[in-house]
Amino acid sequence: MDTLLLRGVALGLIVALAVAVGLWRRRRDGQARAVPAGDLLTAEQLGTTLGPVATLVQFSSAVCAPCRAAHRVLSAVAQRSHGVRHVDLDAEQHLELVRRLEVMRTPTVLVLDDGGRVVARSSGVPSPAQVTQALALASARPGQEL
Amino acid sequence: MTGTSPLAHPQGLAGIDPRGPRFVAAVTAVVLALTVLTGSVWLLLVQVLVFALGTVLGISRTPYSDAFRRLVRPRLAPPAELEDPRPPRFAQGVGLAVTGIALLLAWVGVGGAVEVGAGLALIAALLNAVFGLCLGCELYLLLVRARTAA
Repeated sequence: MDTLLLRGVALGLIVALAVAVGLWRRRRDGQARAVPAGDLLTAEQLGTTLGPVATLVQFSSAVCAPCRAAHRVLSAVAQRSHGVRHVDLDAEQHLELVRRLEVMRTPTVLVLDDGGRVVARSSGVPSPAQVTQALALASARPGQEL
Repeated sequence: MTGTSPLAHPQGLAGIDPRGPRFVAAVTAVVLALTVLTGSVWLLLVQVLVFALGTVLGISRTPYSDAFRRLVRPRLAPPAELEDPRPPRFAQGVGLAVTGIALLLAWVGVGGAVEVGAGLALIAALLNAVFGLCLGCELYLLLVRARTAA
């Protein structure tokens, strides 16, 4: 009987851990954070031209269902925002960038300003409002308080 | 302005109801929870076999998915959209690796292997069933990165 109690406690701990991880992920997913002195990406590296105002660079992979959802949100926001371009890259085909930018999971979204500098990033599926917020970082001038 | 997805569905690859994998994950979580509670190597073996089916034939060809189609799906509205079957299939493979190794360790007599293996897989199954998070899928990029690191 004691072993069963012990096993029950272990099961409870496992469930609690899973719920904690899930809630933490839910809170953090899609939330963009500003990147100070971010990397510079060129049109050549992205394989397409930069947006005149900002570029949303999405890293996706084949075994990633949320990447499809993120793609829909980002392309919809890009479509209705002036001068914003959405680029969806297969992480496997761009491993050098993935390493340099420390992309650990897909989808990861980078926001580039008009010059191609990374100003914000997020991972997980963002909401349209979160993307709009992140884009505001791109149009803020350098040195300006965010 | 918008880019096209580099990973659009290949032609001819049928999509699956996204609620199917969630249901499969829920049944998997129940089986693994019972495995942790009982320490039964036979229950773990059942789950290993189901993971093996899901990996080799695809997640829609597992008995759990059969139950979803026959018992659950007829009661639901048609899905808003279909999902690529490759991510859940890859995740089945990750589940197979974790529980398969645990089963081998139990077989050679390592104590607690059944419980630890089932517990690890249970965390992933719960995250999938409750939150729709696919931990196995997220491992994919890390695996690709590690494979090409050398």
